[in-house]
Amino acid sequence: MTGTPIDRLLGYPGRDPGCEAGFEQLDQYCDAVRRGEDVAHRFADLLTHIANCSACREDTEGLLAVLEELARPT
Amino acid sequence: MKPELDPESAAWTADLSSAGPARDGATTRLRAMLLRVARAESGRRRASLPALRPDEVEDLCQQAANDALMAILGKLPEFRGAARFTTWACKFVMFEISTKLRRAAWRDRAIETDETVWATIPDRALQPLSGMLEAELGAALQQAICKALTAGQRQIFQAAVIDQVPIDVLAERLQRSRGAIYKMLHDARSKLRQALIAAGYGELIS
Repeated sequence: MTGTPIDRLLGYPGRDPGCEAGFEQLDQYCDAVRRGEDVAHRFADLLTHIANCSACREDTEGLLAVLEELARPT
Repeated sequence: MKPELDPESAAWTADLSSAGPARDGATTRLRAMLLRVARAESGRRRASLPALRPDEVEDLCQQAANDALMAILGKLPEFRGAARFTTWACKFVMFEISTKLRRAAWRDRAIETDETVWATIPDRALQPLSGMLEAELGAALQQAICKALTAGQRQIFQAAVIDQVPIDVLAERLQRSRGAIYKMLHDARSKLRQALIAAGYGELIS
């Protein structure tokens, strides 16, 4: 979360599906990001969760990073 | 309607669903990929893991690859191709290795619950707000924490937000799921937001 201090304390308002439902969408979100799609609307709820949950945010950043690495020739 | 699988995903699922050498080969390739991902992620997080020896990290990577492989094979019938197979598979090992690394990093650290912390919240949690918010918002937040939250919600809020304890570490210590801990945190934050709006600070926190 990179918002204001009060955002870090209270989280961002909006629909937040939680960790389990977020995990279900995580792979689709990362593929969409890698395809360069506009994810803001399609994954709005997931993005709220990622902003509010540091563990899921780290996992998302990690998954995007490893997918980039896997795409490189070995 | 089931999406049409891309050729690579179709090959993975066909091989893993087959019998004999094709399945064995695919399982071996999949585990190797999962281990590569776990090692890459542990390397990416090396700076946050100062207390872990390299052999400990490697052991966690091996465990994560094994646990993720079991999860993937168990859930393979549920794979619908909404994402690429490799992306779908990688999210399982990402969950496993990140959870194991966070828990290992906190294994020797106590999680303390201290009800007196709220008296110091303007200094601890709201210190970054100085110059941005008026002092009375800090007092209102302190009052909301003490009056609107249950003891359990205060415990989770203090640990996760004030002390920055990862929620999967809290889940392990409290023997709850990560999702259950997050829901408690989400509910606590919602209550605080509602209390501050009711107290007249809606414009400052929206």
